[in-house]
Amino acid sequence: MSTSVGRESTTKPGGSGGRALMLRRVVLLAGALVLMVVGTRDIRALRAYRETVVVSTALTSQIPLSTYFGGIKGTLMDAPVYVFDSGVPGGSVLLIGGEHPYEPASPVAAYVVMENIVVTKGRVFVIARANMSASTLGMLGNAYPPFFRIKTPWGEKKYRIGDRETSPLEQWPDPFTFVHYPSKQNLAYQDSRNMNRTYPGRPDGNLTERTSYAVSEMIRREKIDMTIDLHEASLGYPVVSTYVCHQRADELCMMASMILSAGPFPMKTEVSPKTLHGLTHREIGDFTDSLAVLMETPEPFIDKFVGPMTEALMLTGRDEFMQTAADRGLLYADYNIKTGASLDYRVGRHLTGAAEVINQMGEFYPAKKLLATWPTYGDVMKHGIGYFLHDPEKADPRRVFLD
Amino acid sequence: MILLQEVIHQIYFVMALVVALLLLTRLFRRKTRPGLAYDIVYAYAVIPFILRALHIK
Repeated sequence: MSTSVGRESTTKPGGSGGRALMLRRVVLLAGALVLMVVGTRDIRALRAYRETVVVSTALTSQIPLSTYFGGIKGTLMDAPVYVFDSGVPGGSVLLIGGEHPYEPASPVAAYVVMENIVVTKGRVFVIARANMSASTLGMLGNAYPPFFRIKTPWGEKKYRIGDRETSPLEQWPDPFTFVHYPSKQNLAYQDSRNMNRTYPGRPDGNLTERTSYAVSEMIRREKIDMTIDLHEASLGYPVVSTYVCHQRADELCMMASMILSAGPFPMKTEVSPKTLHGLTHREIGDFTDSLAVLMETPEPFIDKFVGPMTEALMLTGRDEFMQTAADRGLLYADYNIKTGASLDYRVGRHLTGAAEVINQMGEFYPAKKLLATWPTYGDVMKHGIGYFLHDPEKADPRRVFLD
Repeated sequence: MILLQEVIHQIYFVMALVVALLLLTRLFRRKTRPGLAYDIVYAYAVIPFILRALHIK
């Protein structure tokens, strides 16, 4: 068998040496293909997996986002929109989860709302997985698991962690610099696939821009009074544990944050910077009549200075390096390793944070009053998230959906 | 515009397929560098292009 490098082959095609060489190469190729199949098992599983949700009996319809703009029809970005209409005139709210899937308290909070909501006045729209494509891949350079599991009284429920941006399988290539439309502000190249940098979107833009445009169209056509975009932030980022609100919503956000900070958990308010473009709290407020609110929880998992990024860290938020950073005053939120920042805590913050700002909308604008209930921060901290997630095996199949 | 974007997007998959086929051809039919090390490199290097062409990664 020849092992020579950089010189002419001495084996003749068809001879015994040629057949051995061919066999060697076939074996190597087969080995590479086996390696490929085995090595991509998690990648394929993540891309194929769909989360089950047992929707509350308050559901009145489930429609694709492409109903509002056909330019995303047939793509992975055509997210389902869940509508809970009380039939009684009142305010309307859109809850957006999963724009950045590696901030999982966002879609999980949306799921808890969808599974438990009761609406007695007004309408609630929920998109749990706004960027479905971004939830089907992991983040390059961050060796974290593809899934996390939530314990429930009937077993475990599995959810995707995902990435921050739309998968290159759906949108590629990236531009050298992403020029935001319509502000013409220059953003980083990967922001062309970052859904929360592409608002208000445009109908002839890239796939992520078209998806943002579909959400904006939905808000305009449905006359949605308030849009609440659920996110998570690293504790080393100043805008953590915060409402970020368009200037038309800043007063009601400040009132909500004061009530929350005096009660269950600390919550700040930031007014959306007028020169930072592409984000919901700026563009939804500018290009629709909706009151735009973005919420951030403290998520240690996405900080750069934590230890191993494991499923346990995702669920508990306990990390010794985070504690060291807290001891040195480097964080923008309180942190104690004994309590961490568990998924229960973060989802609970979103649930009560959204409820409070909706309540304030009704106080500031009585014509926009919306009466809806779902589990609160206290409920989730007492029972855990799993208590509020229902068993799809035992549920009415008409209430079971895949996201 | 959307059509053009889609065409460019699909070209990348076609390019990945072309490179994969080129590497496979070079794995089995080449006149220089016939050694084992190059066989391993060609067999291994084809993986990412197949994954992209098949819309897996």
